[in-house]
Order: sequence, then C-alpha cells, then structure tokens
Amino acid sequence: MNISAQSISLWLAAVFGTVLVAAFVLFPGFLPPMSPEMSSGEVAEFYAENKTWIRTSMVVFDFCCVMLLPLFMVVVHHIKRMRTSTDVFAYCYLSAAASGATILAIANLFWLIAAFRPERNPELLVLLNDLAWITFTAPVGMIIAQNLCLALAVYLDQRPDPVFPKWVGHFNIATAVLTAPAACAAMFKSGPLAWDGLISFWLRLTLFAAYIAVMFFMLRRAMRHEALELQRAPELVPA
Amino acid sequence: MNTLWDRFEGVMVRGEEDDRIAGDFNMWVFVLGDLVIFGAYFVVFMVHRFHEPELFRASQGHLNLLIATLNTIVLLTSSQLVARAVHAARQGDDAAVRRLITQAGGLGALFVVLKVTEWVIEISRGYTLPSDEFFMFYFCLTGVHLLHVLLGLLIFGVVLHEIRQGSGRRVTLVEAGATYWHMVDVIWVLLFAVLYLLR
Amino acid sequence: MSATTETRPAPAAATSTDTLEGKRDLSICWWITVVFYGLFGVIFVPLTRLMPPPGPDMSTAQITEYFQGNRTGIQIGFVVLMVAIGGAAIAAGLIAYQMTLMSVSKIYAYSYITTLAVGALPGCLLGALAFLAAVFRADTDPEVLVLLYDVAFLTFVGSLGCFATNYLVFAVAVLQDRNGIFPRWLAYVAIWQIVTEVLAAPVFVFRSGPFAWNGVISFWEGTILFGIFLGALIRLSRTAIRRQPIEAVA
Repeated sequence: MNISAQSISLWLAAVFGTVLVAAFVLFPGFLPPMSPEMSSGEVAEFYAENKTWIRTSMVVFDFCCVMLLPLFMVVVHHIKRMRTSTDVFAYCYLSAAASGATILAIANLFWLIAAFRPERNPELLVLLNDLAWITFTAPVGMIIAQNLCLALAVYLDQRPDPVFPKWVGHFNIATAVLTAPAACAAMFKSGPLAWDGLISFWLRLTLFAAYIAVMFFMLRRAMRHEALELQRAPELVPA
Repeated sequence: MNTLWDRFEGVMVRGEEDDRIAGDFNMWVFVLGDLVIFGAYFVVFMVHRFHEPELFRASQGHLNLLIATLNTIVLLTSSQLVARAVHAARQGDDAAVRRLITQAGGLGALFVVLKVTEWVIEISRGYTLPSDEFFMFYFCLTGVHLLHVLLGLLIFGVVLHEIRQGSGRRVTLVEAGATYWHMVDVIWVLLFAVLYLLR
Repeated sequence: MSATTETRPAPAAATSTDTLEGKRDLSICWWITVVFYGLFGVIFVPLTRLMPPPGPDMSTAQITEYFQGNRTGIQIGFVVLMVAIGGAAIAAGLIAYQMTLMSVSKIYAYSYITTLAVGALPGCLLGALAFLAAVFRADTDPEVLVLLYDVAFLTFVGSLGCFATNYLVFAVAVLQDRNGIFPRWLAYVAIWQIVTEVLAAPVFVFRSGPFAWNGVISFWEGTILFGIFLGALIRLSRTAIRRQPIEAVA
C-alpha cells in the first residue's frame, strides 16, 4: 500500500517532469534567458511578439509543476523510515517542500499575467517581468532547508541497512551550496549571478533537474528495499 | 435495512459496496454526472453557435472530416471490443478479457495519435485556439474529451493490472471500465455530430 | 501491541460508534471548516464582490470605478479574510487527518496538505492582497489598478496545478482506500474538478466569452462544480467522523 502510493507519486513526477522540460524549452524567455538589462521597450516587444508561446508554455507549467510535490512527499516518507532519534526532519522537509512549490507557482503566474495584456504600459510589464524572474530565481532558502534536512537525516540514520547511501547526503549538501548564490539574482543585473547568468540560471536549473532525476532513481531504490523489508517482516515496519 | 433509503444511505453516504449494484452505482454517478457536465458545454456551444451561425459554419469547413470519421470508427470498434470483454469477464475467461482490453486500449491510443495529428494539421494551417470562437470551442471540447480518453486508457491499465493480480473484483472492475469507456464513446459521437457534421 | 503498520481496521467492523461523542477535537475542526467556507462565501460574493468576477474586457475607467465604488466592502471583507484564512489550514488538516485513517499510505495525506498549502497563497490570498493594495490609496494610477485587477483574477481563477494535484491525490487515495472513509463517488467528483482546472487554463488567453475568467465554462461551471464537491466533502467528512471508532485515551 505504501509501495503503490510511492510508485504512483514517482510515476506522476516522471510524466509531468518530462512535460515540464518540454514547457521549459518552449518558453521563449529561457533559451537563451532574458536579460535583466532589457529596456522596457524590448520587454514590451518580447511579450507582444511571443505571447502565444509564453502563454502555452506557462499554462503547461502552471498545471504541471505542483505535480512534482508527491515525489517530495515520498522523500518525507523515507526520512521517517530512517533510524534517527525523532521524525522531525521529515516534517521540516515537508514544510520546506510546500513553500518551495508555492514560490514556483507564484513566479509562473507573474509571467502569465504579463503575457495576458501585452499592450500594458511597458513599465508595468517590466515590473511583472522582474517579479517573475526574481521570484523564480532568488528564493533558494527552501531548497537549501529541504536538502539540509535530508542530508542530516541521511548522516544520522543509524539503520544497519541505511535508507539512502551517504553520498546522497553529500549530493544534497552540494546542490544546496551551489544553488545558494542564486539569491543574488535579486541584486545583480549582469554577470554570472544575474538571473540570466551562468550561476543563477544555468547552474541552478541544471542542478535542479539533476536533483529530481537522481532522487527519482534513489527513491525507486529505497522503495524496492522497503518492499523487500515488508515481505520479510511486516510487523517491524514503523508506521 | 434495505429500504430504498437505507440503500441510498449505504451507498451514497457510507460508501458500502457489498452490493454489486453499489459498485456500478458509483461509476454510474460518474458517468451520468460527466454527461450532464458535457451536456452543459454542448448547450453553451449551441448558444454561441446560434448567435454566429455563419462564422461557425465557415470555420467548421476547415475541419478534417476524414480523420474525425476514422476516429469515430476507431472508438466505436473499441467499444465493441470492450463489450465483448465484459461478456468474457462474466464467463471467467481472463485471457480473453486481457486480450480484448489490450486491443481496445490500442485503439484508444490510436485515437489519441489521430487526434493529435488532426490538431497539428489545424495549427500548422493557422487555426489555433484563439483564432475564432468556433476553434476556441473545438480545441477546448476535443481537448477535454481527449483527457477522458487518456483517463480511459489509465483505467484499462488498472483493470489489466488487477486481472493479473487475480483480484476477486474483476467482473465489477471490467464492467465499471466498460461503462466509462462507452461514455467516452457517446461523448465523442455527440462531439462528432455537433462539431463536424451539424450544418 | 498490535502491528504498527498503517492499516487501520475498517470502521464498519468496530463496535457501532455512529456518534460525535468523544471526538470533540474533530467536531471543533469540522465546525471551523463549515464556518470558514461560509465566511468565504460571504466575503467573496456580497462583500468584496470578487465573485462573480467582472470581465477582463472592462475598460480602464470601468475597472477604476469598480474598485472605487467597492472600497469599503473590499477592505472589510478582505481584512476579515486576513484572519479567517487560517480556516483553510484547519479544513486541510481535518481532511488530511481523515486520509490517514484510510488503508492507503500517508504520502497521500502529506501531498493533500502541501498542495493546499500552495493553493492558499497564489490561489486565494494573492487575489485578496491585490484587491487590498488596489483600494489602499485613493489616487492609485488607473493602469496600476488594471494590473492589480489582472493579478487578482488570473491568480484566483488561474491557479491550476496545485488544485489539480490536490484533487488527483485525493481521488486516488479514496479509490484505493479499503476502509471506505469516503465513498468512491466522491473520488469521481474530485476527478471532475481536475477537468474544471483544465478548462480554466484558457483564462490566460481570452478576454471575453465562455473561457474567460468570468466565462460560463471557465468560471461558472467550475465554481458550481466546486460548490457541489465542497458540499459533499464537508457532509461526508462529518459522516466519517461519526463512524470513526473512538480511540481510547491512554
């Protein structure tokens, strides 16, 4: 029963994650990423000329991005399986994941609102565009918190057969550390830390995609181990 | 127990399913409700069509009748296969059920492919969602229907899975899946008539 | 002590406990839920008049008039919402708790909570905040008012994925549940809700017609169906509370 819920959640993430990648590629403002230094005229032109693809890709985004949340809830479930002194990290992780998804949902809506009335005053379009990009890029804290909780839980897991190998902890810490500088996108208009920069855009998003992919496979592995455990000794499985 | 009200309470409120009818009951709620909801969409469409008959008729001429007709045949055939699967399930012939459901599912997948092809053709010719009112309805209604088809394929998958696991509920499941699929078929026939044929 | 797995015995098998006695915490949460949604209706419809929405095709002048003519209602209504919104958390927590009584994994309950946590913000509060900002100053630039107008309605009607995911995990959980906490037809109604979310997607494109944010299909049919779902959910939640075996307090 646990296993089927995990399977469904992972499957949802795989299907909708793939669709999200397509939406990402289709959004005219990502490849290459829009520059914070675009003039208001250029921003207005961008939205007027690309409104169809902006709307299409971002509506898909709207519908699909929260479908990744159940995958993070599978992580919560596995943190609870770890033999740490308490389950606290699981609940912290849950909380951070919810907030992280909220941030993504809001950023997405700002892009859609900008594309809704492209004939708006260009200064207001710039405002919406700035809001979208800053919201999308800068609030890295929830990801960092999530990853930290998972890493700590992995390090402190005292099971003889740990839920995740230690390198998953390292991976989570590394991802968090490398994602952190993207917070500066709220300050810089050019350079690697700007929202179109090497660190804040390319590195951050590549890491995010890699994170989902890696965790997907590690969760499948953990799920399989749990299934074996259940077969062998169901009464030993904690609630 | 077993006055009409008791049974209503049992099924609607307490969700009891000891009764075989009850299991179907839930699916019938879904089917009838879905038909009512779709019916509402049709009514809205007809009202808008009534206000702009020329525009609707002109835009309708751009639709690909060939693919739509093919799709209708595909769905009707799949419904027939599903009906035979129900019969096989009642006879306890699991192998036949699996074969027929898989075939029906294959046809369902073909419908999806044909529908997407049709959309791609329309879009490449410049007719998109915001082109005009007719196409707005066309894409939204066929889109929602396509979702129903995809859900139907998912249901087939669940049925096949349950049969492989030797579930005791297989007859009810196949019947429920069949009811749903027939509904999907009925909605398509209505869509076909209203969107493509009605002049 | 018996197995500590997540399967609980089906309520029907326990001794008849068709009562609300001994479940005061659940009762309180249920009443808070009812009051919250009642307040929600009063706030969003007669007070702030965010529902039913005026159209995206209103002129700048009309939009300015809409805000200025409704300033008091908006402020009273949404200031109350600033406090009352907590009720959304209670409602989510109650249903999520009941989901933990199902024979299915708690992962569904976690997903239920988190998706609604997402929805409360862009899908409800953001619109209220935009309205409050619009009427905060009497001399706000009309173009800015149009912006806030768009923000409110597009986020309120157009927050799709959080609710779609919520309905999806709820439907799957109910369908897989062998303890019959909620009847299966509720899962099907939840699936209809997903369809209404899909049909709300066009609001980002159309400024008028049935698929605009005030349209017959994208708004009205969706809202009516939501009302049916919510009414059923609340009613059935109460039934589930009544049927739940009383847990002995240690």
